[in-house]
Amino acid sequence: MTEAGATPILELKNMVKKFGDFVAVNGVSLEIGDGEFFTIVGPSGSGKTTMIRMLVGMDAPTGGDILLRGERLNDVPANRRPTCMVFQSLALFPHKSVGENIEFPMKIAGADPATRRRRADELLDQLRLPRDYYTKGVDQCSGGERQRVALARALAFDPQILFFDEPLASLDFRLRKTLEKELKDIHRETGKTFVYITHSLEEAMVMSDRIGIMHHGEMIQIGTPHEIYNRPRNKFVAQFMGEVNIRPVTRGDAAMVRSTDDEQTYRLGRDPGDFETGFLIIRPEVVKIGAAAQGLDNQVSGTLFNDYSLGSRLQYQVRSLSDGYQWLIEKLQDEPFEGRFGDEVVIGWRAEDSILVRE
Amino acid sequence: MKAWREPGFLVAAPVMLFLLIGFAGPLLMVFGYSFMPPRTFSLAQVPTLANFVSVITDSFYISFLWSVGLASVTVALLLLICYPIAYGMAKLFGKWANLVTVLIAIPLLVSENIRLFGWVLVLLKGGILDGTVKMLFGTGLPSLLYTVPSIVFGLVYVYLPFMLFPLVIGLSLVPDSLKEAAYDLGASRLEVFREVELPLAMPGILIGCMLTFILALGSLAESKILGGQVIIMIADDIESAFTYAQDWPKGSVLSVMLILFSGGLVYYLFRRVDLDRLIRRG
Amino acid sequence: MPGARFGLVRRLIVIWTVAVIAFLYIPMVSVVLASFAKKRYFSFPVKAWDTRWYEKVFNSLSVRELVVTSLDVAVLVTVFSVILAFLGALAFARYDWKGRKLYQKIVLLPIFFPQAVLGLALLLWFSALGITTSWQTAVFAHMVWIVPIVTLIISIQVYGFDPALEEAARDLGASRWQVLREITLPILSPGLISGSVFAFLLSWGNFPLSLFSTGADQTVPEWLYAKMVMGYTPMVPTLGSLTMGGAVIVVLAVYVAFLLRRWRHNRAMAGVAFDD
Repeated sequence: MTEAGATPILELKNMVKKFGDFVAVNGVSLEIGDGEFFTIVGPSGSGKTTMIRMLVGMDAPTGGDILLRGERLNDVPANRRPTCMVFQSLALFPHKSVGENIEFPMKIAGADPATRRRRADELLDQLRLPRDYYTKGVDQCSGGERQRVALARALAFDPQILFFDEPLASLDFRLRKTLEKELKDIHRETGKTFVYITHSLEEAMVMSDRIGIMHHGEMIQIGTPHEIYNRPRNKFVAQFMGEVNIRPVTRGDAAMVRSTDDEQTYRLGRDPGDFETGFLIIRPEVVKIGAAAQGLDNQVSGTLFNDYSLGSRLQYQVRSLSDGYQWLIEKLQDEPFEGRFGDEVVIGWRAEDSILVRE
Repeated sequence: MKAWREPGFLVAAPVMLFLLIGFAGPLLMVFGYSFMPPRTFSLAQVPTLANFVSVITDSFYISFLWSVGLASVTVALLLLICYPIAYGMAKLFGKWANLVTVLIAIPLLVSENIRLFGWVLVLLKGGILDGTVKMLFGTGLPSLLYTVPSIVFGLVYVYLPFMLFPLVIGLSLVPDSLKEAAYDLGASRLEVFREVELPLAMPGILIGCMLTFILALGSLAESKILGGQVIIMIADDIESAFTYAQDWPKGSVLSVMLILFSGGLVYYLFRRVDLDRLIRRG
Repeated sequence: MPGARFGLVRRLIVIWTVAVIAFLYIPMVSVVLASFAKKRYFSFPVKAWDTRWYEKVFNSLSVRELVVTSLDVAVLVTVFSVILAFLGALAFARYDWKGRKLYQKIVLLPIFFPQAVLGLALLLWFSALGITTSWQTAVFAHMVWIVPIVTLIISIQVYGFDPALEEAARDLGASRWQVLREITLPILSPGLISGSVFAFLLSWGNFPLSLFSTGADQTVPEWLYAKMVMGYTPMVPTLGSLTMGGAVIVVLAVYVAFLLRRWRHNRAMAGVAFDD
């Protein structure tokens, strides 16, 4: 894995984009390292597409600076930036063949046909497409093949940074999983910097060196997948990753917090410092149920009222006796919990497994 | 981006400028002339309403009424004639629909005069129809030309595509799934037609009717060539006023009447119809 | 759709459609018929056939002049209209801008307008501006009606054009000019070609606008009408037939060219080895 952030190839300083009164991007700053796979993740409307369009040159920023290896990119027109994007719709030219599409940037740059053909063939190989696809029409390629053609075309441009605008969003699960891994391979093989945007945190986790989470035009948290998962900065980031248990809490004595909903106290792994109010986040997979919950630092009594099978995992829902909160518990499928609906059960977790956030 | 720097505005500018000079200008001129004293040729005079009055007193409104009447009949006939075909093209013909479109569009590219003349040859005493009937039955037909029905016939013939194509687009906007759902819910064929198909196809129907009506209203060739001027239509009167009578203000006021009437209809139409949706589907 | 009755309805519609199409072509066939009649005044059934009228048409200097006039007008109308309409269509369908809805309605107005009145209004306009009418003013007059039509035709094509394609081309290094040449124009070419054909043929066959705007010059339709009303000669149906034949040939040629292009494209794209 490339060392993230070694030399910043791309620096964003206080990027702002306004459409009339609407602020789509509100002061985003970050640095991306040379050769890094950086993903911006956020729900629809978070501003991530606007961000990437500014970086590529399709929209002009209202404020802020874009620096590529220290040089200001703001006024450089899109076609002169050494960057390239794989569009969400892929934007493959329908009136040109696969080969013509791939060769397009080289043709624009003035390369001779022989060189172009050679490079196109190389790219077809690299993207695991048969060589005779050179003359094939793009409308005759499958979804996955079209992705690869789009990527080959972008690589033919030989950009310093490759941008991706949710290219896998319209594919089915299997194809997505395959292509995610292939993208990661290509990233490793080419050593180029990849900047990717998606709304799926899961997708980002699979491929990225680092992730930036955007919400309402602001960059909420930047970190490695591991960091984001284990130390979410706030409730939004934690919930963005999937279902979690959240309890609003205030500071208690020592390493304790008190739930504001039902006055229960929960033990933390360590002293929370100057924390006053906020939320306690407990992931479903760290919550134990039944006998396994015996002896854990934190315990809650409740009634079992639902179970779901999620393939490799089992999910249980327990309604708390004290305030009716619906706790979510997950465990591996080879250790099912024997209980009937309506049974009173105990659930619990270790103090150090919970996460405390301020907002 | 400032409004006038927007790319949309910039590419629209040449056409808008052209239409300003070529369309708005002449119309404003006509409008201005309608207020000038009769039989004059300049705009630098004291405005008067004399022309407007003379429209009533000199019974020029008769030609206008005739035009409205004939245009209305034409529209009604064309609706009946074209609806089944439009239905076929939108729903039934599949791949053949394109061929039908081309076949129906080709005559449009041939001069109106030639096509109407062709009908003269057919309908003339001694013409193709008369001659054929004589051959088959011994006796000939009376002259079918130079009557009011022959004018309507010409109007229906010439403006058929202008009713047909909008109808096709309108009908293609009616999803089959909606009709099937209505059947499923117990509606009869007539009810489905009335409650589902007709309302959804209405934009296309409206455009077809408006377009055909206005074009028929302002038509000239049909009444001249096929009708021999047995009745005079408004465009004919306008032409006469401008040329033979050398009375520009009169011609202008008649034109203004025609324009306001047509314009009012078009305005009503455009308010009710979303052009983007229709043309996208076309 | 319910029932066995549906088959009957379908058949009736097909028969009706075929009948109407045949009906549309009857006058055109009669004109061709009349052009081969030997006698000066047409009567049916035609007793004697001849091609002498065709000889007369081809040898007539005045007819040649008419054709040249009509041709000059049509060619210029086509060139100018397509250029204007191309821009107009982009404004109509491609860019979302503030005045767009109003613009769309304004552009379509001339189509909904009685041509004779437009012609007369333009006559007024020309004389007010001190311009004598000739075939050149006819070009202008035709364009007022034809530019909106061609704009509409090209817009239909533009609606289906994905703007991301142009953005991608820019992103891959193309200058604006290259984007136009490599992406925009090729993809829009079917619309541009259809628009050109329409512009040419509509201009060629136009009567009401020509009547009032050509002045001393005369186009083919004007001559045809004049002769129909007075001084009839079988050269009328002859020239009419030739015109029709020309129009049909042009349309078919373009249609066939389209089909050929698509066929070749498909063969090449399917990966079949194709010697070019």
